[in-house]
Amino acid sequence: MAEVIVETRNLSKVYRDFWGRQKVRALKALDLEIRQGEIFGLLGPNGSGKTTTIKLLLGLLFPTSGQALVFGRDATDVSKNERLGYLPEESYLYRFLNAEETLDFYGRLFDMPTAVRKKRSAELIDLVGLNLAKRRQLKEYSKGMARRLGLAQALINDPELIMLDEPTSGLDPIGTREMKDLILKLKAQGKTVLMCSHLLADVQDVCDRIAILHQGELKELGRVDSLLKVRDETQIRAKGLSESAQAEIRSVIERHHGSVLTMDNPTTTLEELFLSIVRDSEARPGRRAKQDN
Amino acid sequence: MVLDSDPVAFSNWIVPALLSFLTSAATLCAVALVGGYLISAFRYGPVGGGDVIYRMVLGGVRDLIALSPRRILALAWLAVQESLRRRVLVGFGIFLLILLFAGWFLDTQSNDPATLYLSFVLTATTYLVLLIALFLSAFSLPADIKNHTIYTIVTKPVRSGEIVLGRIVGFAVIGTVLLAVMGLFSYVFVIRVLNHTHEVDVASLRPVPNDPNGDRAGRTSLAQNHRHTLKIGPDGTGSTDMVQGHFHEVTAQESGDKTTYVVGPPQGLLTARVPAYGDLRFKDRAGKASDRGISVGKEWKYHSYVEGATLAKAIWTFSDITPERFPDGLPVEMTIRVFRSYKGDIEKGIRGSLVLKNPRTGRASDEKFFIAKDFYIDFLKIPRNLTDPTGKPLDLFDDLVSDGQVEVWMQCLDASQYLGVAKGDLYLRSRDASFTLNFIKSYLGIWVQMLLVTSLGVMFSTFLSGPVAMMATLASLVLGFKAQFVLGVAKGAIEGGGPVESFIRIVKQQNVTTQLEPGLTTTVVKWADSVFMSFMTAITGLLPNFNQFSNVSYVAHGFDIPPDAVLVQVFSAAGYVIAALAIGYLFLRTREVAR
Ligand SMILES: Nc1ncnc2c1ncn2[C@@H]1O[C@H](COP(=O)(O)OP(=O)(O)OP(=O)(O)O)[C@@H](O)[C@H]1O
Ligand SMILES: [Mg+2]
Repeated sequence: MAEVIVETRNLSKVYRDFWGRQKVRALKALDLEIRQGEIFGLLGPNGSGKTTTIKLLLGLLFPTSGQALVFGRDATDVSKNERLGYLPEESYLYRFLNAEETLDFYGRLFDMPTAVRKKRSAELIDLVGLNLAKRRQLKEYSKGMARRLGLAQALINDPELIMLDEPTSGLDPIGTREMKDLILKLKAQGKTVLMCSHLLADVQDVCDRIAILHQGELKELGRVDSLLKVRDETQIRAKGLSESAQAEIRSVIERHHGSVLTMDNPTTTLEELFLSIVRDSEARPGRRAKQDN
Repeated sequence: MVLDSDPVAFSNWIVPALLSFLTSAATLCAVALVGGYLISAFRYGPVGGGDVIYRMVLGGVRDLIALSPRRILALAWLAVQESLRRRVLVGFGIFLLILLFAGWFLDTQSNDPATLYLSFVLTATTYLVLLIALFLSAFSLPADIKNHTIYTIVTKPVRSGEIVLGRIVGFAVIGTVLLAVMGLFSYVFVIRVLNHTHEVDVASLRPVPNDPNGDRAGRTSLAQNHRHTLKIGPDGTGSTDMVQGHFHEVTAQESGDKTTYVVGPPQGLLTARVPAYGDLRFKDRAGKASDRGISVGKEWKYHSYVEGATLAKAIWTFSDITPERFPDGLPVEMTIRVFRSYKGDIEKGIRGSLVLKNPRTGRASDEKFFIAKDFYIDFLKIPRNLTDPTGKPLDLFDDLVSDGQVEVWMQCLDASQYLGVAKGDLYLRSRDASFTLNFIKSYLGIWVQMLLVTSLGVMFSTFLSGPVAMMATLASLVLGFKAQFVLGVAKGAIEGGGPVESFIRIVKQQNVTTQLEPGLTTTVVKWADSVFMSFMTAITGLLPNFNQFSNVSYVAHGFDIPPDAVLVQVFSAAGYVIAALAIGYLFLRTREVAR
C-alpha cells in the first residue's frame, strides 16, 4: 500500500475562551489516514469541523488531545511545509500586492532562487487564467479571481500534499470545472489532495475516498464508489430505445422478479447519502462510523 | 553642556555589560524553561511536559539553523510595502510642517540660537520617528493575525523568528530612510536658519585710542537680534567679537576711492569640540587629600563642592600634554556650578582661580582668575609663556609638564561660597571634530532608539493585540525615559514613598516630607509599596534607558559625541534587539495563530 501522508490519531479540538472555559467541541477523536496519491474529501454541514481539521493538520491550531501527523512529522513542525500547499477557506492574501508580487513573495518564502520564482509564477498565473490581471492590486480582484490566485499560491512550491478548503467556492462554472480537472491532473502527477467541501457533486466527481463529519464526529468513511453503491438496486440508463424495446426490457426485469424503479434522470446519490447520514446522526447522536476502506 | 556622570570608556564597559547581558539572558531562559515546564506538566503530565519542553528547545535550535536571509528579506520587503500602504510618508509631511512653523515656537532672542535650533530639530525628529516606529511595529502583526493573512505565511516553511526579524528589519529600513531624509532636511534647515551676515556700520568706525597698530573699532548692523563690535586692522582684515556663540571675519575692500566692508559668514556656531578629560582629586578645607569635595545636597550627587577661602581645592591631572598636541598653549574650558550659602549679588558670579602645577617638581604658575556662573562655558587660554608667582618667566612645557602630565589646581576665592565640579567640568579643548559628522552621529543615536522601539513593538505584538501592544511599548518607552525617576522611587530616594504611600498622601493632602503615623495601615502600605517597588526595579532594570541613547545635548551644546558613547549605544541596543527577538520568537511559536 502507498505511504501514509496524513494521519490523525484520536484528534480532538475544544475551542476555549480567554478564561479557559469551554466554548465548542469542534472535533472529537478523529482517526484518519490519507495515503499518497489519493484525493480525499472531507464532507460535512457548516460548522462540522472540516476547517478545524485542516487547521490542526497545518499547525495553525494545536490539538486539545490526540495527534496530527503530516509526512510522519508533528503538524506543528514547520519543516513539513516545504512539501505542502494550502488554499484557505477565504482568500487571505495581501491586498496591496499584485498577482506577480504575491507569487514572487510566497516563492521567496520557499527560499526559491529568482529565476525559478519567475518561471514558476508565470506558469501558475497562466494556469489559473489571471494573465490579464497580473499587474493589478488584489484589492481590485473579484472573489473568484482572488480564489484563483490563492490556488496559484498554494501550488508555488510544486507541493506533494495539497490541502484545499472549499476549493470551488466563489468560482464560476468554468472555474469549477477547471478546478476539478486540475485536481485530477494533480492526482495523475502522483500528488495527494485533501479537500473539504459541502458541494457534493464536486466531491463525488473527483474524490477517491471521503469522510463525512457531523458536529465534530466522523460519521462515514470509505471509498466513494463503494459508499455510493446500493447493492440491491440497479439503475439502467439507455438512449435511442423504442417504446416496444422499453416494454421488452420491463418484461425481462419482471421475469427475473425485479421491479422497475425509475427510467428517468437519476438523482445525485451522494446527496442522498449525505442527507441520510446527517438526519440519522441528528436522530441518534453519538454513533460512530464503521471503519471500512 | 553639563555631564551628570563620568564619560564611559567602551573598553571598561563591554565586559561587565556582556556579563550582565548573559546573566539576564540565562535568568530569562531559566524562567522560561521552568515556567514552560510547569505549564506543560500541568497539561500533559510530568513526562509529557518534559517531552514538550525538550521538543521546544530542539525545535528552537533547528529553527535557528534554518534561518534564511531570503525569507527574512522577503518578509522585510512585505513590511516595507505595508508601511508605505499605511502612509508613513504622512509622517514626513508632518516633519516638514514642523520645520516650516518652527519659527513660531522658537525664541529668536535666545543668546544661544545654535543650541536652541539643534536641540529642537533633533528632539522633534526623535519623537516623530519613535512615534512612527511605535505605530508601525505594534499594529502590523496583530493586523496580519486578525485578517488571517498570517495563515498563508505560517503554512510556508517560515520560522517564527523570521517573521519577527523580518518585521524588525522592514520597519528599520523604513525608519532609516525617514531618518536619512529628515536628517538632511534638518541639517540644511539649521545651517540656513543660523546663517546670517551683518553690515558694518561705517559711521561707527573710530580709530582705537592709543593703539600702536592703528586698528579701528566699530559695530555692525543688527541681524537676527544681535549686533557685534568689530576691530579692523590697517591691512583691511579684522573680526568681530563673540556674540551668540559666533563671530564674523571682516575685510575691507578698496575700489577706487570707496571702501566697502564685507562681513563673512558666522564662525564657531556649529562646533564639535573634543574634550580631553583629566583625573580629578580634591583637598579638603584643611588641605588634606580626599576623593570628593563637599556634598551640598542630594540633587547634585555627581558634583562635589570646593569651599571658598579655605585650603579646599579641586585638582585635575591631565596626561599626554605635548607641544605637538597643544602648540599654542592649553585651551581650558570649564562649566563650573556655584552654590551659595548666602545670596550675595546673583548677577556677579563667584570668583575662583586656577594654578598650573608640575606634578613632580611642584613648580606652579601664577594665579589665573575666573568668574563662575551656572550653565556657562568659560574659556581660559593658558599660553606657553607664563610667569610664576614671583614674576619669573616659565615655559609651559619645559617647567610645568613632566612625563606629559600637568596639574590644574582650582580654588574658590569667595568665603562661604562653593564651586561645584566633577571630572567632566574642566577639560582641555584638544581639537574640534567635524560638525557634520557629529550631526550624523546624533542621528545614529536616534536610529538606535528607533530600532529599539521597533523591536519592542514587534515583540509585544507577538502576544498582544495591536492597541495593547502599542500601549505596552509606549509604557516601556516612558519608563525607559524616566528610568532614573522610577529607580529613584523604587530605591526610596524620592520623597513621599512609593505609589501607595503617595496616593494616600495625595488623598490626605499631606506634605511629602512628613512621616506617616506609625500603625498597622502604615505597615501594610509600606509593605505593599516595597513589593511594588521591587517589581518596578526589576522591570526598569530590564528596560532600555532611552536617555542613554540620546545624543541631543552633545550636539546641541557643540560637543563631539564620544565614539565610546556611540559604541556603548550600538552594543547595548544590539543586546535589547536580540532579547526582543528571542522573546518574540518564543511567543509567536507557542501561539495558535488561528484562534
Ligand atoms: N476560532 C474559533 N473559536 C471558537 N469556535 C470556533 C472557532 N472556529 C471554529 N469554531 C467552531 O468550531 C466548529 C467547527 O468549525 P469549522 O470552521 O471547523 O467548520 P466547517 O466544517 O469548516 O464549516 P463550514 O462548512 O461553514 O466552513 C463550529 O461550531 C465553529 O463555531
Ligand atoms: Mg470551513
